[in-house]
Amino acid sequence: MTEQAVSNDDRDASITDPILEVRNATVKFGMDRGESRVLDDVSIDIERNEILGVVGESGSGKSMFASAFLDAIVDPGTLSGEISYYPDSGGEVDVLGLTKSELNQFRWEEIAMVFQGAMSSFNPVRKINTHFVETLTAHGDTVSEGMERARTILSDLYMDPERVLRSYPHELSGGMKQRVLIALSLVLEPEVLVMDEPTAALDLLMQRSIISLIEDIKEKYDLTIVFITHDLPLVVDLADRIGVLYAFEFIEIGPANELLEEAAHPYTRALLKSTPNLTAPVDEMRPIEGSAPDPVNEISGCSYHSRCPMADQRCEVEDPGPYIVDTDHDVHCHYWEEASEAVPMPNDGSGTETGSPDSDQPISVQTPETRPRWAGENPVLSLDDVEVHFEATQDEGLLNLFTDPETVRAVDGISFDIYENDVVVLVGESGCGKTTLGKAAVGLERPTAGRVEYRGQDVWEAKETGGDIPFEDIRQSLQIVHQDPGNALNSYRKVFSSLEEPLVRWYDDLDGNDRRQRILSMLKHVGMSPPEDYIERYPHQLSGGEQQRVALIRAMLMNPDVILADEPVSALDVSLRVEMMDLMLELQDMFDTSYLFISHDLANARYITEKTDGLIGVVYLGKLVEIGTPERIINDPQHPYTRALCWATPELLTETDRTDDSPMRKIDIPDPTDPPSGCRYHTRCPEARDVCREVEPEMVDSGTDETHQRAACFRAQENHEYWTSESIVED
Amino acid sequence: MKDSRGPTDGDGQPKAADGDGQPKAADGGSVNSPFETISDIEETRRDRYRKRYENYVYAPFSIIWDDWRARIGLAIIALYVFVGTVGVFLVEPTTNLDGSAFIQPFETWEHPFGTDRMGRDLFADTIHSTRPILIMMASGGLFTVTVGTVFGTIAGYKGGITDTVLSSITDVFINIPGLPLVIVLAVMFEPRNPVLVGILLSIAAWAGLARAIRSQVLTMRRESFTEAARAMDVSTSRIIRKDILPRLMPYIVINMMNATRNIIFSAVGLYFLGVLPFEDQNWGITLYLAYDAGAHYRPGALHWLLIPMIAIIGISVGLILLGQSLDRVFNPRVRARHRNGEAEAEGSEDVEADNTGMMKQV
Ligand code: SF4
Ligand code: SF4
Repeated sequence: MTEQAVSNDDRDASITDPILEVRNATVKFGMDRGESRVLDDVSIDIERNEILGVVGESGSGKSMFASAFLDAIVDPGTLSGEISYYPDSGGEVDVLGLTKSELNQFRWEEIAMVFQGAMSSFNPVRKINTHFVETLTAHGDTVSEGMERARTILSDLYMDPERVLRSYPHELSGGMKQRVLIALSLVLEPEVLVMDEPTAALDLLMQRSIISLIEDIKEKYDLTIVFITHDLPLVVDLADRIGVLYAFEFIEIGPANELLEEAAHPYTRALLKSTPNLTAPVDEMRPIEGSAPDPVNEISGCSYHSRCPMADQRCEVEDPGPYIVDTDHDVHCHYWEEASEAVPMPNDGSGTETGSPDSDQPISVQTPETRPRWAGENPVLSLDDVEVHFEATQDEGLLNLFTDPETVRAVDGISFDIYENDVVVLVGESGCGKTTLGKAAVGLERPTAGRVEYRGQDVWEAKETGGDIPFEDIRQSLQIVHQDPGNALNSYRKVFSSLEEPLVRWYDDLDGNDRRQRILSMLKHVGMSPPEDYIERYPHQLSGGEQQRVALIRAMLMNPDVILADEPVSALDVSLRVEMMDLMLELQDMFDTSYLFISHDLANARYITEKTDGLIGVVYLGKLVEIGTPERIINDPQHPYTRALCWATPELLTETDRTDDSPMRKIDIPDPTDPPSGCRYHTRCPEARDVCREVEPEMVDSGTDETHQRAACFRAQENHEYWTSESIVED
Repeated sequence: MKDSRGPTDGDGQPKAADGDGQPKAADGGSVNSPFETISDIEETRRDRYRKRYENYVYAPFSIIWDDWRARIGLAIIALYVFVGTVGVFLVEPTTNLDGSAFIQPFETWEHPFGTDRMGRDLFADTIHSTRPILIMMASGGLFTVTVGTVFGTIAGYKGGITDTVLSSITDVFINIPGLPLVIVLAVMFEPRNPVLVGILLSIAAWAGLARAIRSQVLTMRRESFTEAARAMDVSTSRIIRKDILPRLMPYIVINMMNATRNIIFSAVGLYFLGVLPFEDQNWGITLYLAYDAGAHYRPGALHWLLIPMIAIIGISVGLILLGQSLDRVFNPRVRARHRNGEAEAEGSEDVEADNTGMMKQV
């Protein structure tokens, strides 16, 4: 392999039968500050029937790339370059030369697109059926035939076609809506499916389920798929080839496995390293320093040079053309051959050392300095058999007036304790009640039964009749950091005004200048400098990570004992998550708080708990089904649901190490208004037996003296009638 | 099935359980925590006033001033206010036989707007009409907005029984026909004071606003930022003032402008119909007299009708222009851009989304 740059035309020598050829695609936006290029001279070929993964962080131009295929760049952007499409029937279509009506035919019938944010793609007052019919008629298709196809596709996506077609969009769960959207895009039998973050808003279990469905669908309908995401581990499973976008251009393209094992670009390597996962040692996970370049500034040389540890003068002036690593692996880096030394990966040299989650290799556990001594200590917060039931409010639709309101058993008898400087992470899929449970724990949601105690004082009793600890103090001690940082801050208030609020309320003795000073020093502490500039900003002028920091500081300024952090990192790019979690842990140290985390991502849960010696609690349909230390939960999960969560966590594993079959019988979580009898998981559990249907399993200890683990599954009990019971798993 | 933890062999120092919930940093936490920073400069009363001035006076005005619509609107309103306050002292009130009948406008400098059938000076008439009309508009507009906002926010935020009571009252006012009610009340009470007239005219107008605001507050109440404020134990009234009202302001301001415009139209209409008792001069009365005297077909009398009409149209155009641009004052994106003194690079669609999202909900 030589350092020989290849010209654009013959770069994709490995592509034999391209379905799409993109040449020098550039998207420009004129802006007040100057012209910005949001896609910079991108050329790529897409092979017929392959799955191409495109990975990029927010602001890397990945959505522009998706829109470019369909010539669908929104004004005032302009697209230049060449895009050719080669239909099965032969011939060549110049996509950018199509007229408006041709383009309308071309979109959807040849290339279909699935966007993120399923909600906004539907008309809320139309039934799903209408959406299909409208799409078919708009393209002049026979409706009856088309609907036949629609039904088949829907059932291929594990949905009940009749039920779904009869529903309104809001009656479907997020995962179902996303699948309906995929079905809708397939109903006109396109050749190519472009998916832009199709799963970003979903929990991991659903993401992973959809990913496995996409594989099947692709086979069945002979599709070529372009899958665009910020989540590298997610596509590694799925894609044949992966292209990594950085600063509006591809910096590396190669076969998925090769990219994973021998990524050649320093950025790809850093990205891999920054991704929380279940197997790599937590100390090896590092955020990427610095930030991506601004599209307005024309960068000379390599766009990554400001962040690259190997950058030298040549990188600053000379644009790294594609170097060939392998026949089908290109990289845009002058020094790619040295990258593996400069940015070492945890599994370098011993690539097979990483075990699958079920392997019996224990994770190395380090002992953090602040290890709480729980024995004999009183918990700060204690939940005892907490239940939160509410009536399902369906505020739309007159018809609901006549039906009885149904009770949602969001939390149904959960107990656990949080100690000083402790961390408990609740994991589970959307709709399992983990957020409601969290809010009940910090006194923001009143439990319908059970007790929430703060240092032995019942929170709600204190509020109503007063107790030993005044409610004011309890309120101050229990704080919340919300999931969506954009919404947690009032968009009409400047950062200063938002942060001043806790100080005004709780520290009378501080005057305006003191408050300002304190807020400035906090902002500086979390790395937002110059703070004088930041306090004058409105939330929309902050990035997601910065908003989250402000929300975190606001909670910290209250000096609380327990902070409920509801998915604090899931809105952030993967590479920023580790950094945010580190910051949270540092603040925990400084302020002596405990965290109650909520996450759908076991990898994040593991990162946090392993660093703090905390516990992971797995919640399923309002029940705590397993709780334990991370090494137990991940290496030896007792509950089959925990195992499913482990399966769903994207791993940086090569194909051979991976198990592809879902360890669940059903994709969708049952209706919480009517939870299954006995063990609530029995409808999806691959191990379910007759007794599971009738009897509800108790929590039993399965940890050792050193470790803590409790699970609510009969399989954790050796002499249970379960073992002689009849299996209820069909087929 | 209480969950208890197995013994652990940790060696950390458990923090003393300070059951009284005092701030922990005070009892000897880390010394260098940024949390303890305080300023060494005392904040003076003057500093505080200066900050208020910047936030509530300087910033809004400089934003408004950026927009030509607002500049014209403000100028028009300012002219009317000047006329209504100072003008009345500069110009003598007119009487019958001030000049000869039906002098045309701009014929002599003595009667720039001409005179009516009784020889009354229409210029003086217009000037002296401005004051009661302005008072009517202001009182009616303020009444609508205050009652509407108070009912709407309290019903929306408090919920429960308060909501039920307030919403029922609102619904009653929404459902009774406005104009007939006003006519009946006007005939019954014969209000002469312009403040009373203003309030009477807007007696049913606030209900629509209250309902719209309630539904908005209802959604805001569920948003994370109000939940965070509740978690910080911020008082309800402060949450409403600091978190909720600013977001409603664009809507409130536009409604205020519309309400005042409606007042002037209905006042003029009712005077014209003779439902409201005549007190001082005002444009409505002038119109009535002119019409009654057949000014619309009588040669040489048309200006008697036109002059009050122009006065009415002028102020309502001023209000429309001002109303359209006032919502910008509250838009954080505009405010942010203004602070930097330069236009920011941002997707123009965001700005739109932020603006229209609010309006669409209503
Ligand atoms: S070309 Fe230079 S700056 Fe760019 S990635 Fe390679 S070594 Fe780093
Ligand atoms: S109790 Fe039965 S159904 Fe429930 S998780 Fe265990 S094996 Fe599965």
